[in-house]
This record gives sequence, C-alpha cells and structure tokens, in this order.
Amino acid sequence: MADISPLLPVSSSDGSSDLTGQATCRRPIKVVVSIFFGLLTVGLFAALLIRNNGSVDYVDVHENERGSLASMAFEKAENLKPVSRGLAAGVSEKSNWVFGGDLPDYPWNNSMLSWQRTAFHFQPEKNWMNDPNGPLFYKGWYHLFYQYNPNAAVWGHIVWGHAVSKDLIHWLHLPLAMAADQWYDKNGVWTGSATILHDGKIVMLYTGSTTEGVQVQNLAYPADQYDPLLVHWVKYPRNPVLVPPPGIGPNDFRDPTTAWLTSEGKWRITIGSKINKTGIALVYDTKDFINYEMLDGLLHAVPGTGMWECVDFFPVSETENNGLETSINGPGVKHVVKASLDDDRHDYYAIGTYNDRNGTWIPDRPNIDVGIGLRYDYGIYYAAKTFYDQNKKRRVLWGWIGESDSEAADVKKGWASVQSIPRTILFDKKTGTHLLQWPVEEIDSLRLKGKEFNQVRIQAGSVVPLDIDSATQLDIIAEFKIDSDALEKATGSSDASFDCATSGGAAERGALGPFGLLVLADERLREQTPVYFYMTKGSDGNLKTFFCNDQSRSSKASDVDKHIYGSLVPVLRGENLSIRILVDHSIIESFGQGGRTVITSRVYPTKVIYGAAKVFLFNNATELNVTASLKIWQMNSAFIQPYPNL
Amino acid sequence: MNNTISLTLLHLAFCFTLVSFTPISALELHGTGANMVETTCQKTPFYNLCVSALKSDPRSSDADVAGLAQIGTDKLKAKATATLRQITALLKVAKDPKLKMALRDCADYYNAIVKYDIPVAVEAVTKGDPKFGVEGATDAANEADACGRGFKNQPKFPIYASNKVVHDLSAVVASIVQLLL
Repeated sequence: MADISPLLPVSSSDGSSDLTGQATCRRPIKVVVSIFFGLLTVGLFAALLIRNNGSVDYVDVHENERGSLASMAFEKAENLKPVSRGLAAGVSEKSNWVFGGDLPDYPWNNSMLSWQRTAFHFQPEKNWMNDPNGPLFYKGWYHLFYQYNPNAAVWGHIVWGHAVSKDLIHWLHLPLAMAADQWYDKNGVWTGSATILHDGKIVMLYTGSTTEGVQVQNLAYPADQYDPLLVHWVKYPRNPVLVPPPGIGPNDFRDPTTAWLTSEGKWRITIGSKINKTGIALVYDTKDFINYEMLDGLLHAVPGTGMWECVDFFPVSETENNGLETSINGPGVKHVVKASLDDDRHDYYAIGTYNDRNGTWIPDRPNIDVGIGLRYDYGIYYAAKTFYDQNKKRRVLWGWIGESDSEAADVKKGWASVQSIPRTILFDKKTGTHLLQWPVEEIDSLRLKGKEFNQVRIQAGSVVPLDIDSATQLDIIAEFKIDSDALEKATGSSDASFDCATSGGAAERGALGPFGLLVLADERLREQTPVYFYMTKGSDGNLKTFFCNDQSRSSKASDVDKHIYGSLVPVLRGENLSIRILVDHSIIESFGQGGRTVITSRVYPTKVIYGAAKVFLFNNATELNVTASLKIWQMNSAFIQPYPNL
Repeated sequence: MNNTISLTLLHLAFCFTLVSFTPISALELHGTGANMVETTCQKTPFYNLCVSALKSDPRSSDADVAGLAQIGTDKLKAKATATLRQITALLKVAKDPKLKMALRDCADYYNAIVKYDIPVAVEAVTKGDPKFGVEGATDAANEADACGRGFKNQPKFPIYASNKVVHDLSAVVASIVQLLL
C-alpha cells in the first residue's frame, strides 16, 4: 500500500502567504474547508488501514471471563433452541431433533452404549461406515465393500472396507480393499460398483477425490482372479478413466453404477450429477472400461431435486418372481431409476421405461418421478445399491443405516452406522406402482425358538403384553384383522391431511388408528417404539392406510432423534394388514404389506435395554377393535468376526 | 474567494487521488466481496453474528461460498477451543458437585465438537462431500445445546455467552455448508 502521507494536505503550505493579512471574515471559510477535506482524507486513510488489518473481535460479550472468575457475569441458563429448520429446508433428520423439553439430558453409560451394538446386522468392529460399495457374488462368496474411516467414529479419511459371506448374513471381515494412496483418490476412495464381464472377470469403477478435491472415476480390478476372497486389488495405472465433463462441477460427479450391455454390445454406465438444482444422470458407453464416450443426452433429469448421489439403474420383471441380470431388456421388463438426494438424505426410486437406442428413461408416472415420489425406506436409509445375485437369481438391495444419536455418543461408543439386512427387490405386480422389499430368506436361519399368538383381540384403547423371553433380537410377523363393519360405520372426514411425520404419533387417537406393536418397551411404558397402522376415511368414503414408526417416546435421552417416520401404504381389497419387524438392539426394520412400505429406524433407549425390553400389541383407535395373529422368533447372533487365519 | 475555491479544488483533487489509489478491498465495502458475505449470511439463522464473524477475516473479501464456509469453520474452531479451555479452567476451581458434573458433561461435548465435529466439517467442505459438513456443524450446535441444558437446574451458567456463540455460529456454518449441496 502506497504511503500517501506526504500527499496529506497541510493547510499552511499553500495558502499561508495568502492567508496572512487576510480579513478575519475570510479566514474561517478557508480553515473550515481545509479542515473538512483534511478530515475527509484522514478518514479515508484511516478506513483503509482498519479495513486491511481489521481483526475487530465479533461478538465476545464476556471476553474477560477467560480465567477470571471474579469478573464473570452469571446468567441463568436459557434453553437454547436446537438447530431446527425443518425438512422443507432439505436438512437431514439429525438437524431437527425434537427435544424432550423437560427431560434431563441423559448421560450415556457404558452399559447403555454397549447394548446398542447390533447382533446380526453388518457393521465393522469399530469406527465409521457409510455407503455400501461394489456388492457382488463371486466363486461362492458374497462380497460387500463399504465406505470406512479407519481412524474415528465420524466420517473422514474414507477408504474401502471389505467383508465376505456365504449367505449374506454371517460376515467375515477382510483387510481393507483399497486405501487412499494415489493422487486421484488421496482425498477419498469413494463409492463405486462392480461389473462382472462375459469371461467372469470383475471390474470395479469408483469415485476418487483427487489431491485437488476433484471428483474423478477410477478403474480397479482384483489382483488375483483366482482368489475367491478377492483380498487384494489393483488400481489401473493410468487412472482416472473419467473426469468431470464440461458444464459439470468438480464436486458434482460421483458414484458410477454397475454397467449393462447395450444392443450394440457396448457397456453402459450412468453417473449422477446436477446442473444448478436439477438432478441428472449422465450416461457413458465403453468397450474396455478405459475409454468412454459420453452420450449427448441424459438418462433422466428432474428439476428441483438437487445432486443425485449413488444413482442405481436396473431392470425388474413385471411377471416373474425372480430378479433380472442388469443387462436384461425386452417385453415384460420395466426399469427402475433410483437416486440418493444429497439435499434431503433420502433414497427415491421410480419405475419406467428404458430406451436403449438413445440411452434415456421415462417414468411411468411423472407425478411420482425420481426424487419427488416413492422412497425405498421412510426412515434412516441412504446410499442404497442393488446387485444381481446370479447364485440365487435375485436382485439384492443394500442400504446404509446411519446413526440418529449425537456424534459425541458415537465417539464414546467407538462406532457409527450399520448396513441394513440385505433385501430382495421385486416389482409389486398387485399395485403396479411399487417395489417390494423383503429381508433375504437366509435371515430365517437365525431364528431360534418361536412363539405363536393366534387371534388376539385388542379392544379400542388397550395394550396387550406378549409373553416372550428376551425382546432385543426378534423377528416378528404379524397380521391384523379389522371389523369391516367398523370401517363402514366410521364417518368420513374432509380433513384427509394425515401425515405420520406431523401427527401426534401413537398417542394421537383417531377413529381408525393407531394400532400395531410396541417394541423396545416395558410395562410402565417408560420408553416405547410404536410401529403401527393409522387409517383415515375421506369424505368420499375412501380409506387410506398409513404405516408409521414413532420415535417420540423411544428414549428418555434428549440427544436422539425423536421424529415420527412413515408413509401411505397401498392396501388392496381383501388384504389383511401385515407387518414384519426385525428388532436388533438399536435398529428396527419394519416392513408393511409385504414390503410395499418400509421404515428403518435407530432407537437408543436408556432403560428398556437387555432384559427390561418387551413387546406389546396396542390399539389406540377410538372406534375400532382389532384382532392380531403373530409369530415371534428370538434371533441368534450372526457372529460377525474377522476372517480366521488370514 | 478565488483562493478558497482553488484550495477546495486542490483538496478535492487530493481526495480523489487518494481514493483512486486505495486497494480494492476498501472499496469493496460496497463491492462484490461484502455482498457475497451479506447475501450468504442472509440465508443463515443468525445474520449479524455471521456477518461480523466472516468479515473479521480478511479472506472473506474475495471468498466464494466454499471459502466462506472454511472461514466460518475456522472461527468456530477458535471459539469452541477457547470455550473448552474456559470449561477446563472452571472445573479446576469448582466446588459444587452439581456444577462440576454439568461442567464435565460440557467438557465431553466440547471435546467432541473440537476433535470430531469441526474436523469433519472442514474435511467435507475441502474434499467435496458437503452433506457431512452440514451434519458435523449441526452436531456441534446440538452438542452446545446439550451442554446448555445441563445447566437448566443450576442457579448459574458461567459459560452461557460463549456456549451461545458456539451454538449460533455452528448453526451459521451448517447453513452456509448447506448452500454447497
């Protein structure tokens, strides 16, 4: 900065000889003018100085508090508002904790925290996990890779973890598959997918965050194709194979899919991105996974949905009950486009028609297009990915289940996140609009002793205890019958605006709901997690059924998520209402109507743990009696552990 | 009179010369740098705190939103670290067991904020997966909130003001990072 002080006007220098001897009435004007501009100059000069060096401390009302008890200003504690901007602002559930109000903060002790660890859901021995990566079946083993932080129970320093299983349930941990050891993935070895080629070889495409923080796509493959455990991986020496194309931001280009064959015999992949606030899926064709041609058009785009992460694209059969290999196309086949929306942390899917020639896809129902319609899961569930299991001819879905407690608690307990139980995914022939998800059948092998309850009558406004031994590892299959008379007699209301999330939960009594199960509850109902149906009748007489999971009283702790999750569930004429719930310590996976609507939630009780946990049937409706029949099995642990003697 | 006019003109000339030599940053009080700060801060829940925090760092004058997010997390880290030191100092002299317990819980929360929440936010913004940054900053706000609630039944809350700044600034940072999604 130039030193301009010599330029500062000195009022005496110029006009002094003129000033002397002037009449007194003129002198003041000159002086005033000089002083005015002098001050202006000084002012500008000073402003310059302050502007450049300014480190005026912002709000620090009690700076003197530091180490100085005597001068402390004491304030009565005020309830600070938690950060709540509502889901409309597109923030994850965690940012909108509904606090218990008068309940004291619950300090977590080791007993409570260690109870939270799951017995039969996949999770590493410690630290943080997120997206499932590159799932596949190869030489007799199912493989799961996953985003992993080897250093802490929070996100960061992401590398690829690896585990194998013979049955998608009993997992064995293997060494890390890929570390952040190249310039093109130094800032993160992020999500990717596997493709099995014609000759049975595997290629893995994954996103790397480079040393400059740019998102690129890289190729990797097993070091030894004869090793069924696929322990070691090699990165293609001339990575990256794809960089953000013109018009796409360096941070908006990630999560390549499994490839499928085009009718021309080329491999085709899609990668999610965004242009302004429009979520899009880019399409690339390749013959060798090294050289790519980007198609002019997009697979699909939906305005207002923001960045599309973890895009998935796969065929489903409209008629058969098996999964389809990713390249299948033709009559009787629909294609699903799925995206994980960065803006609201939910996974959305839509069913539609794929055009192979120009690499585009159109939804069957544009009003429930990708990102604005159906979700895989209405609870905590993100970054899901399917793979075709050629072993059992099914399409299997993996999903990342994060925590909904505080990061401080995660750090204290030393781990964060689990994977969902893998689910088969099928087109719902009966509704034609939904996909059905169901836990893979291998989970049944964990069932120990079971107990049947037949035709249990639950009167309006009652709670019925179910006498089973332990209630922290359960598989519950329940069916509910309702008096059709009661349904007809119920008066329709024009206020048909029920929504699980904005309702009063299981405590809000309606004519035709809520009714269902209370899990992780005790007789005193100190803590409880209801999973239930709520039916409404419109003024036109039409019935709507909602399937909800209420966390509002799931724990006395105030630093856990207390939202109510759920959604409309289609119920067809003649169908009974059915629920399947897998309870596994701090995770509950609930399937309504055979998996038409699914809700996964994380529950962190402080009292209803170990032997204190029980299960109840409940009916909080005012005008409806319900009859329930159910089977409840104790579930064994899956004994997930490191692969022995590796 | 002529002398007055010429003197005035001379002074005006000096002033304009001064102004034309000033570095851009001074002019940007009404230029693009300040506008970026103000328009970004308008999208946060604590506008005044946001503006004063960001502007107190000279880098904010030509930073983009990602840059402002980084400045915000730097400020938050400094404030949270200072508050943790405050808590530790208070713990050394506190005698009342209930006060000690509340302070110890706050120390736990602030350890999490400084060691985990803020580094996660920094890494997420610099490496380009901002949603984890929103989560990290939001967690920091919620942990400051939890610290505050531990003093609900206490007659005195010695770190009230610092804790509030950490809470509010965390919320500000979360909002700014949200803009990167």
